[in-house]
Amino acid sequence: MTMGFLNIEFLVASAVGLLTAAGIYLILRRRTFPVILGLSLLTYGVNIFLFATGRLMVDAPPVLNKYAEVPYTDPLPQALVLTAIVISFGMTAVVVMIALAAYLSARDDKIDMPHHPEDEGEDA
Amino acid sequence: MSLFLIAALPFLGAVFPALLIRAGRNASASAAGLTSFLAFVGLLLHAPAVFRGEVIQVGIDWLPALGLNANFFLDGLGFLFAAMILGIGLLVILYARFYLSREDPMGNFYTYLLLFQGAMVGIVLSDNILLLLVFWELTSLSSFLLIGYWKHLPEGRQGARMALAITGSGGLAMIGGMMILGNIVGSYDLSVILQNKDLIQASPLYLPALILILLGCFTKSAQFPFHFWLPHAMAAPTPVSAYLHSATMVKAGIFLMARLWPVLSGTPEWFYIVATTGLVTMLLGAVIALFKDDLKALLAFSTVSHLGLITMLLGFGTKIAAVTAVFHIINHATFKAALFMSAGIVDHEAHTRDIKRLGGLRHLMPVTATIAIVAALSMAGIPPFNGFLSKEMMLEETVHTLWAGSHYLVPGLALLAALFSAAYSFRFIGHVFLGQTRDDYPAKPHDPGFGMWAGPALLVSLVVLIGLFPAHLVGPLVAVAAGAVTGGADLPYYSLKLWHGLTPALYMSGVAVIGGLVLLKLHAPLIAAWNRAPRPEAKQIFDSAMRALTKLSQIITDGLHNGAITRYAFLMMVFIIGISYFAYSTGTMVPATREVQGVGPITVIAWFCLMVATLAVVAKHRQRQLSLVLIGVVGLVVSLGFNYLSAPDLALTQLSVEVVTMVLLLLALNFMPKDSPVEAPMWVRLRDGGIAVVGGLGAALLIYALMLRDFALPSISEFHLANSYKGGGGTNVVNVILVDFRGYDTFGEIIVLGIAALVIYALTEAVLGSRVRAYLLNRKPDMPQAGDAHPMMMVVATRVMMPLALMVAAYIFFRGHNLPGGGFIAGLIAAIALLMQYMASGFSWASERQRMFYHGTIGSGVLIAAATGLGSWFSGNPFLTSAFGYLHWPPLEEFEWATAALFDLGVFLAVVGAVLLALESLARFAWQPGISSEHAMDINPARDDAAEAAAAEGEA
Amino acid sequence: MNHFLIAPVVLPALVAPFIIMVVRYHLDLTRIFSLASTVMLVAISLVLATQAASGEVQVYELGNWSAPFGIVLVLDRLSAMMVLLTSVLALVVNLYVIGSGWDKRGANFHALFQFQLMGIIGAFLTGDAFNLFVFFEVLLIASYGLMIHSGGTRRFQAGVQYVVYNLLGSTLFLFALGTLYAVTGTLNMADLAVRVAEIPPEDTALLRVGAVMLLLVFAIKAAVIPLHFWLPASYANAPLPVAALFAIMTKVGAYAILRMYTLVFGPDLAITEGLAGAWLMPAALVTLMLGAIGILGSYRIGRLVAFGAITSMGTLLTAIALFSPEGVAAALYYTLHSTLAAAFLFLVADLVSERQGIEITAQRLMPQSGLIAVLFFTGAIALAGMPPLSGFLGKLLVLDAARDHDLVWWTWGVILVGSLVTILGMARAGSLLFWKSHSITAETDPTAPQPYEEEANEQEEETEDTSTAALPFVACFALLSGLILLTIFAGPASHYAEATAAQLFQPEIYIKAVLGKVTP
Repeated sequence: MTMGFLNIEFLVASAVGLLTAAGIYLILRRRTFPVILGLSLLTYGVNIFLFATGRLMVDAPPVLNKYAEVPYTDPLPQALVLTAIVISFGMTAVVVMIALAAYLSARDDKIDMPHHPEDEGEDA
Repeated sequence: MSLFLIAALPFLGAVFPALLIRAGRNASASAAGLTSFLAFVGLLLHAPAVFRGEVIQVGIDWLPALGLNANFFLDGLGFLFAAMILGIGLLVILYARFYLSREDPMGNFYTYLLLFQGAMVGIVLSDNILLLLVFWELTSLSSFLLIGYWKHLPEGRQGARMALAITGSGGLAMIGGMMILGNIVGSYDLSVILQNKDLIQASPLYLPALILILLGCFTKSAQFPFHFWLPHAMAAPTPVSAYLHSATMVKAGIFLMARLWPVLSGTPEWFYIVATTGLVTMLLGAVIALFKDDLKALLAFSTVSHLGLITMLLGFGTKIAAVTAVFHIINHATFKAALFMSAGIVDHEAHTRDIKRLGGLRHLMPVTATIAIVAALSMAGIPPFNGFLSKEMMLEETVHTLWAGSHYLVPGLALLAALFSAAYSFRFIGHVFLGQTRDDYPAKPHDPGFGMWAGPALLVSLVVLIGLFPAHLVGPLVAVAAGAVTGGADLPYYSLKLWHGLTPALYMSGVAVIGGLVLLKLHAPLIAAWNRAPRPEAKQIFDSAMRALTKLSQIITDGLHNGAITRYAFLMMVFIIGISYFAYSTGTMVPATREVQGVGPITVIAWFCLMVATLAVVAKHRQRQLSLVLIGVVGLVVSLGFNYLSAPDLALTQLSVEVVTMVLLLLALNFMPKDSPVEAPMWVRLRDGGIAVVGGLGAALLIYALMLRDFALPSISEFHLANSYKGGGGTNVVNVILVDFRGYDTFGEIIVLGIAALVIYALTEAVLGSRVRAYLLNRKPDMPQAGDAHPMMMVVATRVMMPLALMVAAYIFFRGHNLPGGGFIAGLIAAIALLMQYMASGFSWASERQRMFYHGTIGSGVLIAAATGLGSWFSGNPFLTSAFGYLHWPPLEEFEWATAALFDLGVFLAVVGAVLLALESLARFAWQPGISSEHAMDINPARDDAAEAAAAEGEA
Repeated sequence: MNHFLIAPVVLPALVAPFIIMVVRYHLDLTRIFSLASTVMLVAISLVLATQAASGEVQVYELGNWSAPFGIVLVLDRLSAMMVLLTSVLALVVNLYVIGSGWDKRGANFHALFQFQLMGIIGAFLTGDAFNLFVFFEVLLIASYGLMIHSGGTRRFQAGVQYVVYNLLGSTLFLFALGTLYAVTGTLNMADLAVRVAEIPPEDTALLRVGAVMLLLVFAIKAAVIPLHFWLPASYANAPLPVAALFAIMTKVGAYAILRMYTLVFGPDLAITEGLAGAWLMPAALVTLMLGAIGILGSYRIGRLVAFGAITSMGTLLTAIALFSPEGVAAALYYTLHSTLAAAFLFLVADLVSERQGIEITAQRLMPQSGLIAVLFFTGAIALAGMPPLSGFLGKLLVLDAARDHDLVWWTWGVILVGSLVTILGMARAGSLLFWKSHSITAETDPTAPQPYEEEANEQEEETEDTSTAALPFVACFALLSGLILLTIFAGPASHYAEATAAQLFQPEIYIKAVLGKVTP
């Protein structure tokens, strides 16, 4: 039984959209932690996006079937997304640790750097 | 001597003074002197040829792509200037040797001086306007160094920067002009350009080119309104003033106008711009000079005035005026350099340059007085000195010049200027050398040693001789030089002699001299009036302008780059979205080609969860732990979605990454505030929300449009599906792509993980090496801690699960090539298994029990992967070529091996190492004395028994 | 099969893990291996450059899978030149870092350094769009590590910003690649070029979006306004020698723009017409101007040089945005110059800040003030594009190339005025740092960074090991002599640049080499 007014493409697209939007919004926050959350959401969004560029198929895993001619989904985007996931995992770990280090050193997790204006421009 | 050598000698020689200064001041000075002497001789060797009217040319290609060639040529004009530069240079070097004091770093001085000399020679010998530009800017730079030579004096520093700003900007304008000129003619070679007068003057770009080039010349030659930098450049040591600001650099502009005279002059634009500027400058300089009490300032403004005079003559555009200009260049160089040097002598001996404090020096320093007086008389235009001759000729020319239809304007103003110049010359004589000897000089003035007055004396003798026998002494030189200027030997009739009969010029001279004397008599009241009169002070204006410019730049810079990445990111988003929309809107789209696929209710529910969870993350992001949980939900649904959409590998990976990331974030959060305050005002949040919605919408529409269309051309992945098994030896195409088709990507991916670990480790070291360590050791947990840090249940559970988890990891690892799984997932699972140990039993307990060195793990991961790749070299294949085969062990079924598996091992190790290293650093942050007991929660009954036994023994 | 192509990627990838596994605790050994590897990189890239100079495009099929199905490395004149530039710069920076002892102020410096090189070189050599992404990530994550090397509050804070901003860039990169793949069904650059040319003209919108997003990604790397905001803070707060190495990283962005927009989305391709030209030139000009203003408006020496890097990127992109053979040739020559010049000035800035702190103010005379002043002066000349150094020639080349462009007057005006502002800024800084200091004695010094004895001790430290005390200056003079050579041999250099540009504007050579077939 399917729900006629909805379709899988729409669901995926809307998910990408919402994740991206949420990601962008959180990235514009002023503390490091929400920004990191935003980055993760953005990563989900872009991963699904990348995955979907292979077009969507249900029950057609790209694992070769020696015995029957079955349809396969596009494996390449999956491979790309895997690479992307791994890389973004490394990136997340690093940014978390740097953010933590920044917080511990400054005792403050504002992401905007304190900006001290120039003491009167000295004349040469 | 080759022109190359002549131009190069000063640069080559510039090295020695700086080095030889260790051997003493004389060594340094003589090195400099010898250099310019050699160059001078080399130049004179060409004299016969030049006077025969020949043009010596040499050249090599430097940057042919641009038409910038190292071409030099020597004609009359070049010869005249080169001779002045090198000749006067020699005298200045001699003079400076005695002028500079012991404290001054003489080596640098001569080095700078020679650099400057080389640049000047380069200008006057260049046969390529781009090459000329190179030398032109070099003079600006080297004079910057020379003016700022006395670093400790603010006047020096500021004067240097002012000169650089003015002449530098003029130079840049001139670059533009020269490029235009070159584009009009189609060549940057002067000898070519000079042949194309009509072409240039017909071009619509003639005027812009003219203006830009003249900007360069006027700034360099201190023409009104750019004249003001020259007096401030007088903060330089006097030898510099004598050399740069009377004889050479300020004449560079004049030289260029003379050089381009054949192609640029003769048009009304040229006449009105150049002649008028020259006239105004001449008058202005003369007037101001009269009211300066500083000797060098007086001379500086008189220089301005005389440069104006020459400029005006060139502006007239008539050949005879050009001849006069050339003649006056020679004369001015001689008497003005002499004047500067004698002013320097006065300053050096009397320790002041203030005219009001001087007077009557002729008794105390007769030699200097004679030299200065003769030179000044020549400057005033008194016969029989050379200044008189050229001034006569100049006045003669003005009489024949119409300005906007008026016969009287030019001669009138010229006469006025001549009158003032006579006046200040007389003042120079009268108020410094004549009059009563005073007894309040800052120091006891007396004539300096021969070395110091030799130079000016030589120049002054020239002043006299040229005055008496102009035709014989400089006639030929003027002829060839003027010929070069006017671009042809056919010069009009002129005669260089003292007596031309009762010409109007003679009367004008008379008026000028008498008027000058009158003005000198009225000097006291005049200067009082002058000082009362309000007038713009160029330096203040310039300084405030510079200060304003600097301040403005600081405001712009700091305003834009204020460290607020929230704003940077916002701008980035706006820009990206805007440009992307532009790209979309300027393209066209075809209707969808694919059918949409229906979905079941379960899917919709899952989707709904995802949406809600995502929104909840945004809504609750201030409560950090809650938002972490929510984001966990999001990740979970995403991985379910991957599974549903036939991507089991992705699902597994997503899931395991999710877990590890969550753990990391939670542990990190342990150190951070648990909630974010509300900071951004409402409108900012709305703004951000707006851009977020737009961005999300864009992404959604983009992917929707893409999903409803087929590949324009068949995807390369069809090949992967077709060849995965026969070519890659695996049935799980995704894994085969990862480790084989695109193994290079995975190689990079391993490296990224490895680097991540290294970064985290280094960072931890840095943090713990700083004062932060103290804070960490003493920090009090901001949340209530569990009573039992390592609950028994959990400990036991994890111990039991450990081997299971590791087995699962192994299984997933090995099946990876044919079924969903692989090194990365396996690595994560193994890492999770270890993680559990840490969490349950405490870091120190666990780390004692595992003999694993993270750096080693990571390193070996990368090395194994790389080695696997290199292995294929030995079979003559490219990097990362995989091999596979099938083994048959009778009891077992067919067993496949593939080098790709080794590669996967690399991934596995890198992952484990990276995760555990990150964990370790977090644990090191958390470490506090006393939190790790000898054997935390280690359930080992034996130990208790031992304890009891010990106790029992104690009793017994 | 010519394994030289992969060598410059594999070598550092082997040396780095070796360093962290085996010699991590022996500073001297670490240095020796790192230095040796860098020297070998220079040698290898020299071989590659000579091979590429023949004009033949070489292809290396990784995993023995032919393009477009596998990943290939491609060596043409452009990539060879960039690799050579990178390794030479790396060698100098490595010398400096060892000499100045920066590498012992934190852990794992040399390993990260090697990985950094691997990432950069890999990005230059790859012929696959997604692999380009992977190597961008490699070089980025390594740069994160180098940027926060030895820690410090401001450095960590700047580090967070740097990472976050670049992660946004990486995300955009994935969006772009996904779009391109979804439309064309391929990832190999040459194959992309072929397929893009075959896209039906009525179905361009999505491809254009992908293409422009890709361009924006590279624009972020190349610090084009308004995507440059990551640069000043991170370069100014990074260890300055590291910033000197980063001088090549902005060039990676420029390289990628050049590659993609000559090979795949060529200037005369109707489908992507107007994507770059429309905004890149104005943006580049603004970048140039803003950088110059930043130089005049900086009160910290690192920041000053950072803006110097920005303004030189502005000039470089102006030349690229012309998208003409002359423009590209000028851009390539200017790339060589500006990389060396910016790195040179960063090193000099480090010499200064190591002695008297980061503020541009007059202070007590620093040790070796005279020598450093000379270096700063020449460096400023180079960066400002004043004669006699190569910057002037590069600038002239750019001006000359812009001759026939519609915005020629804007271009000339901005470049010349920008140079003026740069000169003013440099003159201000130099006269404050090196001249005004002469009028300040120890007593009257308002802002003494540290008391006398301390500094004296520092001096001893510096001079105790004379062999390395001289190294920083050796490195600086090496870069300076590089600039001088680039000036004297401007003819040959520009000739190579022209040949490279010509090769870039004949993509069919590249495509044939990779796919073995010519574009229809």
